[in-house]
Formats: sequence, structure tokens, C-alpha cells
Amino acid sequence: MDIVDSSGVPASGEYLTFTLGREEYGIDILKVQEIRGYEAVTRIANSPAFIKGVINLRGVIVPIVDLRIKFNLGEPGYDQFTVVIILNIGKRVMGIVVDGVSDVIQLDSASLHPAPEFGSILDTRYILGLGTVEERMIIMVDIEQLMTSQEMALVETAAA
Amino acid sequence: MSIDMSQFYQVFFEETSEHLANMENLLLNLDVDNPSLEDLNAIFRAAHSIKGGSGTFGFTDMTEVTHVLEGLLDRLRKEELALRPDMVDAFLAAGDVLRGQLEHHQGGPEVDGGDIREISARLTQLAHGDSAATATAASAPAESARELNLVCLFPPDLAASEAEVDNLLAALAEIAAVDLRHRPDAANGLLDARLTTARSDAELRDALAFYVGPEEIALTPAVGGEAAYGLFEEAAPAAQEAYGLFSEEPAPAADATAAYGFFDDAPAAPASEKHEEDAGFGLFEDAPGRPEALPNRDVAPGDSPAAIEGPGYGLFVDAPGGLGVFDNAPGAERLSRPAAAPAATTPTSPGRRLSDHPSVEVAKSGRRDNDKTAAAAGADTSIRVSVEKVDQLINLVGELVITQAMLSETAGNLDPIQAEKLLAGIDLLSRNTRDLQESVMSIRMLPMSMVFSRFPRVVRDLAGKLNKQVEMKTIGENTELDKGLIEKITDPLTHLVRNSLDHGIEIPEKRVAAGKNPKGTLTLKASHQGGAVVIEVMDDGGGLNRARILEKAKERGLPVSDSISDHEVWQLIFAPGFSTAEVVTDVSGRGVGMDVVKRNIEGLGGKVELESSPGFGTRTVIRLPLTLAILDGMSVGVGGETFIVPITTVVESLQPRLDDIRTLAGDSRMVHIRGDYLPFIPLSEVFGLAGVEDITKGILVVVEGEEGKAALFVDELLGQHQVVIKSLEANYRKVPGMSGATIMGDGRVAMILDVAAVIRLGLANAKRRAA
Repeated sequence: MDIVDSSGVPASGEYLTFTLGREEYGIDILKVQEIRGYEAVTRIANSPAFIKGVINLRGVIVPIVDLRIKFNLGEPGYDQFTVVIILNIGKRVMGIVVDGVSDVIQLDSASLHPAPEFGSILDTRYILGLGTVEERMIIMVDIEQLMTSQEMALVETAAA
Repeated sequence: MSIDMSQFYQVFFEETSEHLANMENLLLNLDVDNPSLEDLNAIFRAAHSIKGGSGTFGFTDMTEVTHVLEGLLDRLRKEELALRPDMVDAFLAAGDVLRGQLEHHQGGPEVDGGDIREISARLTQLAHGDSAATATAASAPAESARELNLVCLFPPDLAASEAEVDNLLAALAEIAAVDLRHRPDAANGLLDARLTTARSDAELRDALAFYVGPEEIALTPAVGGEAAYGLFEEAAPAAQEAYGLFSEEPAPAADATAAYGFFDDAPAAPASEKHEEDAGFGLFEDAPGRPEALPNRDVAPGDSPAAIEGPGYGLFVDAPGGLGVFDNAPGAERLSRPAAAPAATTPTSPGRRLSDHPSVEVAKSGRRDNDKTAAAAGADTSIRVSVEKVDQLINLVGELVITQAMLSETAGNLDPIQAEKLLAGIDLLSRNTRDLQESVMSIRMLPMSMVFSRFPRVVRDLAGKLNKQVEMKTIGENTELDKGLIEKITDPLTHLVRNSLDHGIEIPEKRVAAGKNPKGTLTLKASHQGGAVVIEVMDDGGGLNRARILEKAKERGLPVSDSISDHEVWQLIFAPGFSTAEVVTDVSGRGVGMDVVKRNIEGLGGKVELESSPGFGTRTVIRLPLTLAILDGMSVGVGGETFIVPITTVVESLQPRLDDIRTLAGDSRMVHIRGDYLPFIPLSEVFGLAGVEDITKGILVVVEGEEGKAALFVDELLGQHQVVIKSLEANYRKVPGMSGATIMGDGRVAMILDVAAVIRLGLANAKRRAA
């Protein structure tokens, strides 16, 4: 949808940063609908482990993905401090479980460094670049590309 | 002062389809041997309104067809002709052509010109087929035949077309003996002829009005008759005056007093509304044929109070464009609705009738006025709302119901003495919520007559094609069903009706031989039974042939034995590709159908059953849930999760005994229930959950899906609920074995099982294990 994002040069904007294990990630704040605590989910049979299930978000059935499991980061424990970021992507609503939400930062494209090409669980296709804020490295994720990708198995692909 | 007419197109399309539907309905209910004048008038009115509307909006193709149609109808309602069944056929066919044309104007495919010509010819021939007989009858009173001079000027483009002129002369020749003195041509569009006819001036004008504006027609009695036609003497000079004005450029409003006198006579037209009338002018000038301006004009010169009273105004409103445009004009709206009625009763020759029998006419229109006012009042109390808005409302109420359920559940833990008032309030809330939900749901409900109303036509056409005599009865048309279901049930029902006609009801000879009424009966019945709507298609035909079905089933290699029950035999009909028809007709018999019918209905969460007794007929029973949005479900627990099993699929639940479970080839497990061996499918296995292992501790739910019965093994039964169906696909994707999700009273999400898919998954699991 957003061609600029996909080409790897995002426009300047606000980003929500969250932690997964010891890494810090940033996503476009306009894609974030709300942040809420983790609540009991209804499991979905025969789905990958990182899809925790679905919750009732004010009458809407919303799938919840645990990014910690997906990217093998952090301890997938669930308590009253576990945070779910509800994303609004396209016309879909989905939630991601992260270790914690840290900040809202302002970044412009000039301070973004391209991510080096090397094999990682998080494909560089989904990384917009690396930003630096007060000595911290923030991995900017193209959350839309990531969540709608085939490997997330969240969206029915046309071919399937 | 031109107005963009296209903004009114939608109104025209809607009105016209209503008129067409109304006309068809009336035609089908018409008693051919003894048609009621009331009905004929109503049909005429419908045709007339279509003609007027299409003329105004420039859909001349429709105007042409309706004109011919109207001609025949007019003679019928004046009792100059007797109604015959072939006329009704022709009317229905004409209705189809019109509908096709209407669709074409809405962007649909073009109607075959041959069809249009054919139907026009057919109607004309019907209208004049026995004109020999009627003509003699009409001319018998010699004094009514008279001679007239006709002078009128054609627009140059029309005059240049040989074919158009031929048409016109032919039309004229149908109602009068024409002695042509000057034929209109490209150079001179003047038509000058001497007519000998028994018809009224108004009728003559009507015939011409289709081609030229009324102002351009001058009719003068050739011999005497001044007294009788005084009205026209006055009119004729005025027309000639207008004539000059109109030959080239449209008359400016101010000059048009002579030609447009009738506008000034409109009662609700004080000077301040003058600009609205001007708008009306623009319209009339745009209208190609201006066909209906004529009757109005006839009233105007008379200037009698009777003409200006209600009926006069009504005439004005009924003029083409009047309906579409003046309705929208702020000042005219209040009056136009009720007044439209009387006009419609006498559109062809109101001037004559009004002056001849004022008292009769007024009384008559007064009555109609009342009828129509009542109908109009009914129409005014309903509003058109987009389905989207209604659905949003339903969704919100769904949320409210869930919230209320959550509250009730939480409040259940409170001390009833301390929280007495709170609990009472919550009780009240739950009652109100339920009422609210019911009312909101009922918005989406439509009566079954929406579906049933299309069948009289289908039955009529088919019966004609198959040479069968069929009477159709409908019972319970007012039973309401969700709009979504109404739309989806139409096709399966049509199929069943066609089947009944083709295979069920026998040809008259056969029926008589069997001692039955030669006329078969097809009954469509809808009713509420519990939380379901039951639709039945019944025929009193020959019934299903058990032996033939069995034979056919064996031929096709289906596993059947001669001893299976009737019920099971009938179910074979639903097998894909099954047909016992000896002849494949274009109606049915290709064996595609019953399986599709069954699949469609099951897709709607419904069930189909067949009952038949040889010689007495067949009954197909369709059970449907009331709505698509709500489902009756049984909640079952498996490994701590809750699943909803749609109640329509549940046959029974029972506690199994260990020795009921048998194994097949070592691993596949079967349950033995009263002589049946059903596949044993533990839900915990299908969904990879840790459920109860001990067979005696769990519950078996026997379900029936597309592929037959199976026993689902679950941990426990939790209860029975009405659940609001939520889509999983909206934010996620389709999940195998689930048809959707719902939100339970505690706010948690529960999955709704797609029973057929669960059975497939379970069987596939077993197969995999075996391999």
C-alpha cells in the first residue's frame, strides 16, 4: 500500500517503540490502534504456535500474534504486565504481544541507516532501517508488510 | 430552462419496476372469464404511468411498447373487447419486454428488436383482431360516426422518416377511416386528412399525441356537430395559434397562455409558484412525444369548476414529468400524491367525460381518491434505509446483548440481599435488551411474499410450456425471514417449483385417468416452527417412484438395498447427478439440481426433507434458521475450550458405554448406536487439545453433516445458546473446521463448528493414523 515504506525510505514521522527481549523495535504509530493488557485468548486449532488465538475486542474478533515466539526473543510468559499492541492494518485489526512498550519517538528518514543484509529470522524485507536515539538502536519494522506476509499466516493469500 | 433529467432517472426506474410488478401481479390474478373492471383499470393505470414516465424521460422505446399495450388495455376496460387468455399472455410478454428495456436503460443488455416488434404486432393484432365485429357494433349507432378535418404539423425529423409516417398513418387508420389529403414529408410536415370515425376527438388526439405535440393537432368537425363539439371549437383556434409558435422554437413561458392554459388552471398554483411551473415547462418541452399533455389541455378551455377541482388538478399532476418532477417540487408535493389517483382513471378522454357527465365522474374519482389516499398513507409510513445502516444497528445491539450478559454474569456473584436494586435493574436491562434485539432484528425481516410473488408467473409459464394445468396456492406469505435468507432461498425454491411442475404434476389426461382433478395444485407454504422458518413446496402429482429411484441408484453404483426405508430412498434424490427423468427437458431432468438445492440450503444453515406418497404427491420441506446472524447452538467443552455445535446438525447426545466403541481394522473407531455404526471422532484429536481420554467420562454428540452422521466425542455439554455469529475472516482467516466465532456471556470467544468439515477432518485424521 505504502510505496514509500516498501522502498525502504520512510518519510519522517512518529514511531512507537517496543521491546522484544533486549532488542528495541519501532513501528509507524499511525498503524497502532491501542495498547492493552494481555487477556485470555481463545486458541485456534491447528494454528502455528506464535498465533496465540483470538480475543473479543469490543465485539470484534481479533487474532493475537506473539512476536516473541515468532522471532524467538524474550520469555513468552503472560502476566498482568504483558502488553498487546492492537494494530490497524488496512481494514484488519490484529494484536501483537510484546515484552513492553517503551516510547513514542520522532525520526526522520535521514537518521535511518539501512539494515545490513544478513540472514535473520526477521527478513530484511520487513526492516525499513535502523534508527539511533540516544545511543539506543531501534529496528524500524514495516509492520504492514510483516503482518500481511505469508509467513505470518494471518491473511489468507489469494493463491491459498 | 433545461433540467438535467438524469437525476430523476432512478426515481423513474424504481417507479416503473413497481408498476411492472404490480401489473404482472394484477394480470396473474385476473379472472379471464369475468375480469373486474377495477383490475383492468388498475392494469391500464400501471401501463399508462409507465408510458407517461418513459415519454418524459425520453425512453421512447418503452413509450412505443406501452402505447400499443395501452391501446389494447383501453379497449378492454371500456368493454369494447372481451378479455381472452391469449391477451393475458401477450400482456405478460409485453411486461417482460418492458422490463428488459428498463434494464437496458439501467445499463443492462439491449432487448432484441425482434421481440419488441413481435409483441407490438401481437398486441395490435389482438386489439384489432375482432375490430370487424366491434366496428360494426360501434358504427351501428349511425349518429356516432362523424367526419372531421385533421390538420397537424409534424416536426421535420419525424416527417422525414417514411417509416414513422407509415406507423402514424397505420395507427390512425386503426381508429378512423382516413382520407389523406397531404402526406407529411421532409419538405412539408403538414398532415391534412379527412377522418371518418366513431371515436371521440380525445381518442384521435391520443393516437397522434404519440407523434406530435397536442398543440399541433387541429381537429375540426367537417360537417355540423358544432353543438356537440363546442369544446373543441374553442380549442382548435388556440391550437392553431400555438402551432405557429411551435413549428420552430419552443414557446417562451409568457407567450404560452393559449397553449398552456391548463397550467394556469392548476389550483395550487398561485403566482408565487410560477417559477416551478416554468420548470415544468422545460420538462414538457424536453419530453419527446408530450403524449399526456393532451387530456390536460382538454380540461382547460372548459374552465368549468368541476374541471378545476380535484380531478382537474389530478390530471395535471398525472402528466408525464408531473409525477417525476412535481412530486419533488416543494410546493406541489403536498397535493400531488392524493390527486394523482383520479387522473389515472380517465387519462384518455377526460375532457369529454368531464363535460358530459361531471357528477358521475367526480363521484367516481372521489372514491378512488380515498382508495389511493389510504394506499399513499401506507407508503408514507415506511422509509427506505440502506441495509448497511441496519446491519450496523444489528451489530451494535449484538454488542449490547453481550455486555448485558457479562453484567448479568458478574452480578450473579453478588449478595442478592445487599445488591437487590442492582439485580432488579439488571433484570430489567436484560428484558429490554432482548426486546430491543428482537425489534432490531425484525427490521431485516421481509415477508415470504417477496419470494412467493415471483412464482405465479413461473408456474403459469411452465405449465403452459408443459401443457399442464396447475393452480398455485400460497399459504403464510406473511411469514418473515431475514433479508439475506430471502435472497438466497429464491433459487433453490425456484428449482423445487420447476421440479414439481415437470416431474410431479401429471398431464391432465393422466390425472383424470387417476381420478384426480385435471388441474394440479402446487402449494407453497411458509410458517414458523420454533426458532425456524419452514417452507414447504407441495404438489398433488404422482409422487416419487421408489422402484425407479432404487433402480437408478443401483445403476449409478450407489450402495443401496431394496430394504431401505422410504425416507432414505427419497434422500437419494439429493445425490449429485441423480435424475430419474425419462426425458431431459429444458425445464429440468439433467440431474443437476437437487444436490445443489440441498447444498445451498445447508449452506444457509437449513435442512431439506422430502416426503412423498405414490399417487398423492410430493412434499419438500425446507427448514431455515430465522436469520443468518444468529444461530442456535449447543456449547460443548473440550480441553478447556468451548465450541458451539449448530443445533440444526445435532441429532442426539448420549453417554457412551465402553463396549459401544468398536474398532475397525485395529485403529479406526466406530460407535455402535442402536444398530448404526458411526465414525467416532474425538474433537480433542481434531483440534489438538488435551481432552478427556476416558470414554465413559465424556459425551457423544451425534451430528449429521453433508456426508452423513458421525459421533463427536466431547468432554462435556455446557448448554444451549443463541449466539451471534462473528466472522473469523474479517481480521484473520478461515479456520479449518470452523464456520465462525461468537462471543459468549463471559466475553470470551468461542468457535462455531462447521460440522461437515469437522467430520471430514476427523475421518482424514483416522485415515492418516491408519496409513
